This record gives sequence, structure tokens and C-alpha cells, in this order.
Amino acid sequence: MPTDTLSTTFSALADATRRSILARLSQGDATVNELAAPYDMSLAAVSKHLKVLENAGLISRGRDAQWRPCHLEAKPLHDVAQWVEGYERFWTRNLDSLGDYLKQAQRKTKKGKAP
Amino acid sequence: MSTKTEIPVGEPRITMTRVYEAPRALVWEAMTQPRHVSAWWGGPGFTNPVCEMDVRPGGLWNHVMRFPDGHELEMHFVFVEVEPPGRLVWQQTDHGKRKNGPPTSVTTVTLEEVGANTRWTMVATFSSLADRDAAVAMGFSRPIEASSDRLTQYLPGLAQR
Repeated sequence: MPTDTLSTTFSALADATRRSILARLSQGDATVNELAAPYDMSLAAVSKHLKVLENAGLISRGRDAQWRPCHLEAKPLHDVAQWVEGYERFWTRNLDSLGDYLKQAQRKTKKGKAP
Repeated sequence: MSTKTEIPVGEPRITMTRVYEAPRALVWEAMTQPRHVSAWWGGPGFTNPVCEMDVRPGGLWNHVMRFPDGHELEMHFVFVEVEPPGRLVWQQTDHGKRKNGPPTSVTTVTLEEVGANTRWTMVATFSSLADRDAAVAMGFSRPIEASSDRLTQYLPGLAQR
């Protein structure tokens, strides 16, 4: 995926409230009122968070004009997870390779010291 | 022996630990001398046509890694802390400055002696582009615990030889 999209996802996820909204939505769709209930903040503030999440493609809103339930979109999260896994794979391979190299280096040293 | 990877929930860090059956001084050398680093960096099938390291605080590490398919990746790091033989900290030279691209990181490696072995601990702390704290996003992805049995094939143990 384009890295600027990844960057947008990261920015949207940078906020604890937004992450908690996503966690709630992972259990099922919810309306703005339902999402706002656990927080000590205005509906407007919650709507602002939802707008950020929507712009990042992390949620979509229903068409029903009255309720517009929010729905979690998994793809951007999947992309972030994939990026993390890619990093982890790179370093696992790197550390395997270092281990291999250290083994060889010690073998050589041993050989060199042999009578 | 295995690699353990942890992504703490809510923190912008990835931690990887591993124990090598090698003395700490050797592991330090292998990670700070270009002739060694260019021999192992990337893994099997990778080569490193450029590896220039000025290993002191503020010193640069310029690196070109060539993938098995031939394409190359330039890496530009700067050393932040250098305390042989136990602690090396580096970061991407554009850490915290870039507007686009994947998150950048500060990488801290500590080497501890565990008997005759060496425990490698790497902590990568990420910062993102648009927002420095954005990499707490890591906290949202599921924790990853990866075991690598491949290491046992590489480090069968000196006692056995």
C-alpha cells in the first residue's frame, strides 16, 4: 500500500479515544450516541474523532440518515499489522543471519588456534 | 533457543530478544565493524555493497542493502549512544523529520552476558511522520510472539563440536 496511506492510518490510531472507539466497533456496529456513552465528552467531540477515523478509512457510516451507525473497516488495520510483521520478519532474518555468522566466526577462531 | 518478539499494547515499541552462544565481545564486534556487518546484514541471499560505520555518538552509518532480486535499499542511520560492549543506539537520520513514508525508529540494542552466552535485546521505538506519537498504533495490532526454530539449526552449541 502507499506509505502515505499507512501514515494516515498511524495518525488516526495515535489517539487513545479513537483506538477505544475502534475496539468498541470490533464488537459490532454502533451509533454516535452509543459510542459517546462511555466518554466524558460532547457528541461534537466524538463526532470529530469519528470524522478522523472515517477519513482514514478505518470506519464507514451507514446511509440511514437518522442513525448512521458506524462500522469498523478492517483493511487499514490489517495493513498496519502487515507492516509490523514485515519489520519483525526482517529482523528475525537478520538475527538468524548474525547467529550464523557468529557460529562461523567462532569455528574459524577455533581452527586457527588448533595445534 | 528462539527469538521472542513483543509488541506491548499501547506502546510504540517492538522488542526482540535472542540468546547467542557467543561471547559478548564477539557479538559487539560483529555488529559494529562494517566488514562483519556487511557479511550478515539482511540474511541469506542479501548482499551489502555499501556499509560505512562511524561508530561514535553522532557518527553516521550509511548502508546499501541489495535484495536477492537485485533491487537495492539505501539506509541512513546516525549513532546516538555507543557504549562498548553492551549498548548501541542508532536512529534513522530523518527520524522525526519525514513527512511521508513508513514510520522511523530509534533502535536500542543491549548485550548482556549470560554465562558464556550473550543475550541480545533490541527495542525499536517508532515515531511516525504526521504525528510523532502515531506509532502507538502498534498497540492496536495484536501482540506477536514469534518463535524461530531456525536458530537452533544455526547455533547448535559449541559444546557439541
